[in-house]
Amino acid sequence: MDSGTRFLILSLEGESYAVSISRLLEITVPRDIQKEAGLTEAFEGKFEYRGKPIPVLNLKKVFKLRGNPGGVLLILKNSRGEMGMLVDAVVQIVETDKQPIPIPKGVMNPSLLPYYGGIIRHNDGLTLILKEEGLFT
Amino acid sequence: MKSGYLLFFLSGRVFGVKLMGAVEIVPWRRGRYVPLSYSYVEGLIDYRGDIYPVFNLRQRLGLGKQAPIGFAAGEEQMPPREQSIILLEEGRNPFGISIDTVAKMTSLEETAPAPEKTQGLDARFIKGLAYEDNKEIILLDFERLFFHGG
Repeated sequence: MDSGTRFLILSLEGESYAVSISRLLEITVPRDIQKEAGLTEAFEGKFEYRGKPIPVLNLKKVFKLRGNPGGVLLILKNSRGEMGMLVDAVVQIVETDKQPIPIPKGVMNPSLLPYYGGIIRHNDGLTLILKEEGLFT
Repeated sequence: MKSGYLLFFLSGRVFGVKLMGAVEIVPWRRGRYVPLSYSYVEGLIDYRGDIYPVFNLRQRLGLGKQAPIGFAAGEEQMPPREQSIILLEEGRNPFGISIDTVAKMTSLEETAPAPEKTQGLDARFIKGLAYEDNKEIILLDFERLFFHGG
């Protein structure tokens, strides 16, 4: 099975989201995140990952959700390098041979669609796939 | 020529949906919230293998709970407040609209396009009007409401 069909399921304010395992480098605890003036408001600051400072995204700020930034830090990679993303919890890893279902038309402004990689069914519910390329642009 | 319509109530007004094959009506349920979606998107629901975005029609049309004075049915004629979701399709896009309650199915003859303002609604969103027992029934343009760039 391709690694692209394995997802890490995470939770954010009680809803489930997924990131592709192929993009995940590490799951860790957010510690010593340094504020940095040059980052936009959606970023909590920078985290030192293997000797290199990487930006840490507060996903709740991006999604306009309430609550604290989250107690789990995911280290992800995309075409620009490594970056951190704060979430509430990681739930499990799932494998699926189904193609993600596109976000239906009419749900959001098309300019925001790159934030999502589609939808998968998981535990009798719908899980939104997060697309790190879009989120960190 | 007459066509089949499903009539429903929303904020004291009567709306009609043209019946194009099967129409599903399900009890209102909370959909899967999608961050950054349009404000009138309640969420996504998974129904019989298809995923439907559910649109809050009241919010999209900018309606309060009651119709403006002069347009509303009397309180005694109002159905009990009860939310349902009608599942429809527009141009191969499945979607749902949350409504107060379903009225009935009937045959109607569509009339001329709506005037600029009909019962306080923006005419861009109205496909036409129909009448039954002297009651005005609003026929909505779902393509414009939900799939025309938001």
